[in-house]
Amino acid sequence: MKHSMMPERREGPVDPMPKSPRPLEEGGGPRRPESGSPDKDNLMKRMRKVDPKQAERYRQRTGE
Amino acid sequence: MRLFGIETEYGITRDDVPEMDPVVESMELVRAHLAASFERRWDYAGEDPREDARGFRVSGLQQDREEDEFAKADAHRPFSFHDMKSDLVLPNGARFYNDHTHPEYSTPECRTIRDLLAQDRAGERIVLRAAQRRNQMLGGGHVKLYKNNTDFHGHSYGCHDNYLVSRAVPFPALVAGLVPFLVSRQVIAGAGKVGTEAQESGYVPGRYQLSQRADFMEAELGVDTMHNRPILNTRDEPHADRRKYRRLHLIIGDANMCEYATALKVGTTRLVLDLIERGAAPEIELDQPVAAVKQLSRDPDLKAVVRLKNGRRLSALELQESYCEAARRELAGSDEESDWLLAEWGDVLHLLARDRSQLVGKLDWVTKQWLLETFMREERIGWDDPWLASLDLEYHNVDPEQGLYLGLEADKKVWRVTTDDAIEDAVRNGPRDTRGGLRGVCVQRFSDQIKSIQWERIQFSGGLCTHNLDMGDLFNSEDVRGCIDIFQHAHSPVDALATWSHRKDMET
Repeated sequence: MKHSMMPERREGPVDPMPKSPRPLEEGGGPRRPESGSPDKDNLMKRMRKVDPKQAERYRQRTGE
Repeated sequence: MRLFGIETEYGITRDDVPEMDPVVESMELVRAHLAASFERRWDYAGEDPREDARGFRVSGLQQDREEDEFAKADAHRPFSFHDMKSDLVLPNGARFYNDHTHPEYSTPECRTIRDLLAQDRAGERIVLRAAQRRNQMLGGGHVKLYKNNTDFHGHSYGCHDNYLVSRAVPFPALVAGLVPFLVSRQVIAGAGKVGTEAQESGYVPGRYQLSQRADFMEAELGVDTMHNRPILNTRDEPHADRRKYRRLHLIIGDANMCEYATALKVGTTRLVLDLIERGAAPEIELDQPVAAVKQLSRDPDLKAVVRLKNGRRLSALELQESYCEAARRELAGSDEESDWLLAEWGDVLHLLARDRSQLVGKLDWVTKQWLLETFMREERIGWDDPWLASLDLEYHNVDPEQGLYLGLEADKKVWRVTTDDAIEDAVRNGPRDTRGGLRGVCVQRFSDQIKSIQWERIQFSGGLCTHNLDMGDLFNSEDVRGCIDIFQHAHSPVDALATWSHRKDMET
């Protein structure tokens, strides 16, 4: 699929800060993610380390 | 409260050999879990994937020919079928084995979403530690594991969610109530995928879609799981008293990294089953459900509408809202977990329509899309760049040092229920209120006396006789706790069985 054929895309989130969910039960609920952007440098560094050809080499047998 | 569990087949690679042998690597990965040599214990009686819930038994499965070819190719190996499967039951009551060349972790049966999340995350740690031990043996970090569902070359592997359902519910009612829900569930539970593909045919890079599995759905109903995969699998393998129960075996779902997505995937399905049992599910009939799965998956803007048999057209969000509304009307106030699920279900549908940035760290497809779009801006590349499929794959790497999702988790940017302590406890113990926990206690205390074991039965050796713990109808939580207590404190399984039998006699 060429990029130009892609449907118009809504801008993705840039500053993820999910709001605090309700607890599942008393005595300890889900923990709210820390506010602010993720450490972009760390994450980008990790992403840049991924070999662009990795998916091309990745082969599995069919499972269920 | 009903029981549920998740089976996850992991993708496996090894990078220090030109061509990996998937049979050997999967088998060795599972065996790396063991401190001692493998002993065959799993009892395959009760497993019959040809039995169909529609009331018949098929003569064969579409995978049979391919399986036969693999069996021929694998015949030269110095392993038996049981060696290759390497079926293990773990101290938490989970099953860990090589299923179709994928290491598979099946959680023990759970009664609460909180337990299920801990057990699912425990599975990630168990397979990771097995990979680390295997890598120590190989002398390098060569083996990697992925909690995903595609190899981007037309081969898919599953993450199945399972639910205990009363046999009194007619199967057609399950079909009618579930199909529109499952077709649209991907807006919450999709893991996101770069590109499109089809069963064993070419991968087309570019288009981002909600689901990893949608491309592989080829039928509305069916007993097959490896070819011609259905939206609703009709395998009738209850792993329980067949007269009273079904096991709903759903193969349409993606493997989720986000705990929130796992919670809502299983939690909302549980609510819909409650609706169906009460005869209160929305009456919606899709015109072409199989086409609808793909159509909705390939529309991350969530604007697509699918046609109903009555001519109306609804979007994925509208389909989900119909179910959420019905569940709110019928099930509000049932219990604390249901109320939490109802509130979150409504919120997530609202946010998907209006501000999905709030769902980064909660839904996989939204989180992955955000990661990839951030990367694309930084690197000035487009959706057709092959790097994106590799990043998609790496999102699912279960190694915290490498995986992209786990990198976000380490930065505390994702929503969590579990704690590290809860996950470690789930590695060691099953839920105390289900037969999964009981199975685990038996493994912990009497492993050397277990002659055979499976989901609904454990056979102990003792003297000249064998002694069975039958769990085919052991679902009442108080009964389970009582039985666990007996096995926890008995001197031998024979003593425990005698005490348990006596208690049941007294009750009747």
